[in-house]
This record gives sequence, structure tokens and C-alpha cells, in this order.
Amino acid sequence: MENRVQRIFLTASLLSALSLFNVPAFAAEQSEKNDDGELGKIITPDIERRHIKEADLDTENFEVGLYYGVLSLEDFGANPVEGISFSYHITEDLFAQANYGISKTQKTSYELLSGGVDLLTKDQRNLSYYNISLGYNLLPGQVYISDKWHFNTGVYFIAGAGNTQFAEKNYFTYNLGSGFKFYATDWMLLDLSMRDYSFTHQLFGVSKKTNNLESRFGLSIFF
Amino acid sequence: MNRYVKKTLQQYLPRARQSCIYVLGVLSILLSFNTYADNFWNLHWFEKQAPIEVTVNDAFINVYNAPGRGYPIFHVVERGETITLLKMQTDWIKIKTGRGLLGWIKRSDVLLTLGPDGQVPEFADTTQADYLADRFELGTAFGDFDGAKAFDVNLGYRFTKNLSSEIRVAQNTGQYSDSQIVAFAIVHQPFPDLRVSPFIGIGAGTIKTIPSTTLVQSEDRRDHLFQASIGAYAHITGRFFLRAEFVNDYILTSRNTNQEVNEWKIGFNVFF
Repeated sequence: MENRVQRIFLTASLLSALSLFNVPAFAAEQSEKNDDGELGKIITPDIERRHIKEADLDTENFEVGLYYGVLSLEDFGANPVEGISFSYHITEDLFAQANYGISKTQKTSYELLSGGVDLLTKDQRNLSYYNISLGYNLLPGQVYISDKWHFNTGVYFIAGAGNTQFAEKNYFTYNLGSGFKFYATDWMLLDLSMRDYSFTHQLFGVSKKTNNLESRFGLSIFF
Repeated sequence: MNRYVKKTLQQYLPRARQSCIYVLGVLSILLSFNTYADNFWNLHWFEKQAPIEVTVNDAFINVYNAPGRGYPIFHVVERGETITLLKMQTDWIKIKTGRGLLGWIKRSDVLLTLGPDGQVPEFADTTQADYLADRFELGTAFGDFDGAKAFDVNLGYRFTKNLSSEIRVAQNTGQYSDSQIVAFAIVHQPFPDLRVSPFIGIGAGTIKTIPSTTLVQSEDRRDHLFQASIGAYAHITGRFFLRAEFVNDYILTSRNTNQEVNEWKIGFNVFF
């Protein structure tokens, strides 16, 4: 069996070695044939007249960013949150954005006051969420910092839905928010935004609708 | 000592030779692929591309100071002037004028220029019909899965104007149980050119049901399912479509009776 495998590899290597030497030689032969000698050199113009297509141009419609902020989870305190966002700019007004964030929550007031009661284990206090949202650039504008510098800015509104994983369970989550974009350059922007994540949970025995505010600061680049 | 060395050599030489042959074989196979890729080792990855220069062929073209229709026009380029196209963001192109001034022009204004070959650059006027063949689409949808809330992501590929295939991944979150669906579907659009275009689809996949541990004591289940769907695409702008869908899921359970679930969802799709 091993011998056979070796033989297969050997034949393959030999064949490919042959093709390594053969292909350039063959190509050289072909290129010689295509050359029409002196006449060809006279007729062919020196300048390449280039035809321009849309594909030649670099497009920057994707945006990837990191953010850091505070997520205030109802009953579980205000906690640092970090995440990654990925956007696709569909038109100059509309963009689609996917977000993924993680946070670690605190003990509820009840747990702290009663002493010794633990509603959740340590692992269950971890929170992660993802969502896909649609944003609209509502108020594009510019700021003039000095007589030489101006920067583009924008206020956007965003809404969407996704999932929050908390206490080892998934919760369907709506999000609604708005933010302020500050374009440091054409391709890099600072993003200051607020989001509200709304979901219903039954962690305390009864169904409870929560609104959880996140304020965050992000840095993203276009590519 | 000497004998020991000899012994180990005897032991390992054949294996070393063998592995040498394998490595050589794999390397040469890889290399043989590369000989066909045009001069793989000679590609100039970081070499600067030749600038894309066009000449204005209209009375003038407005130059905006930022990529957006509301931003001020601070300059115009006139007939005969040569400009360099730098990059594109959505429907705006960043340009550099002959004097080194930077600004943005509308994508459609490129059609008022001429390339070095004396022809108008090829910037297709994208309409709805352009997104209907040989395209990928990526979308998301939110809705209701038999009382549970559904979050869907779909990735599709359109073979012809009428026919596409897609992979759907869904996370449904309910009060009593959660479920995850992975399915493959074929979608047919009888009238693709309509602004609101209906479609029908059939699909098959698996569903994983996770009952809420706090309420019901039971195990996770994994079942097959069939999907029949009816819905519509509505063209909003450019590559952006709204999509609404009603799905009838037929779940082949391991219990005595199969389960039928109705699902509706609404979302948006983007074509690439």
C-alpha cells in the first residue's frame, strides 16, 4: 500500500517536473510565432491605448470597525461592552450593519442586599449579542475646525434585530439607535453612538420586557 | 554507541526517505498548479497601478467636496481637462484634477468623459434587471415562527433570471423552546422584471429544537424538515430589495405525528 502511494507521488512529481520545464518552452515557441518580425514592430504603436472599465477602479463600500462602550443591562448593572461591526454601504444613504458584542454583567441589587443568594452562575453572567441592522444616513454635514481643516460628519439612524445570549439562553432582540460619524479621512471614521436593545426574559419567574441602553465609541475603516 | 547510532539510522532512514518523497510530491504538485497560473512568482502585489486618467467631454462636470449630493460644489472641470479617477464609494468617485485638487464627482458623470482610447469608460447603468442573473444575494429577515421570533440570514446565488438557490440559516427564539434551522432551497421567480416580483420556493433541511430548561424537562431534538414558501421581492433602490415571505414548514419528527409550522418573515436582500 505504502509503496503504491509512494509511486503515485513519484509519478506525480516527475510529471509535474516535466511540465515545469515544458510549459515555458512551449510558451516561448508560441510568442515567437506571434511576432511578425520587422513589420509587426513598425505597425504596433508604442503607447497602450487603455480602455477604462468600472472594475479598474477601487471601490470602498465595506466598513469594518471595533467599538467599546457601556451596556446597561436592566437589573444587572452597567457594564463595559466591546464588539466588532461590519457594514456594507448600499447607497450613499443606506447601509446594512452586522454587530457582535460581548459583556459581563454584575449581580442584581437583590443578590447584593440579601447576601449569599446567587441567581446566576459565573458563566451565566456572560452576555453576547449579534444583530443585523439597517442604517440611514439622515444628516450628512461638515465641521470646520480651523481655516484650513474641515471634516465630514454624519448623523445616522439604525434599527434591526438579532439575538442576545444571556444566562445560557437566547433572546430575540430588537435594536434601535442613532449615532454620529466623524470622518477623520475618506477611509477612517470615528463613531459615537447609542443603541437600545430590547428583549423579554423570564429570569425572575415572570415575563419582563427590558430596555438596555448601550453607548459606545468606535473606530472603523473603509475597504 | 556507534551501534546505537547505526540502529537508529536504520530505523529512521526509510521513514525520512519516505517523508522526503511525500514532501517532494506535494511540493511539485503545488508547483505544477502554479506553472499554469500566469507567472505566479512574478506577480507585483504591491506595485502601484497606472493612474486611471479620463478627459472631460462635456461643457463641465461638477466637483463636490465630499461624497454626497448635499455637499457643496467647490470646483468644476471643463471640457478637455484631464482628471484622474482615484476610487469609488457607493455612487461617488474621488478624482484628482490636473492641478492636484481633490474632489468627488457623481458616478454617472463618468459617462461624460473619454478614456485614453477615445471611448466612454464602461460604467454600466445598473437597473433592477442587472441584478437578476449570475449574482449573489445576501439578506436577513425577521418574523414569526409559530409564536417564536425568527431571525434569518440567507445567502443565494441566481443562476438565471428566474431561478436561484439559497442557503437559509435561522435562529428562532420562543417562550417554551428555541430552534435553529439550516436549509437549502430552490426559488423560482416567474416575473423577475416586475418592481414587486412574486416568488415560490421549496427547500429541505434540518431543525434543532432546544426546549427551555426552566420550563420543560426534555432533550434537544434534531429533525428533518421540508419548506414550501411563497413571497415577493420589492425593488427599492440600486442593489437593495425588500423581501417578504410566508413559509410552510413540515417537520418530520421522530414522534407519531409530523408537525406543520407556519412562518412569516420580512427583511431585506442586497445583490452583489
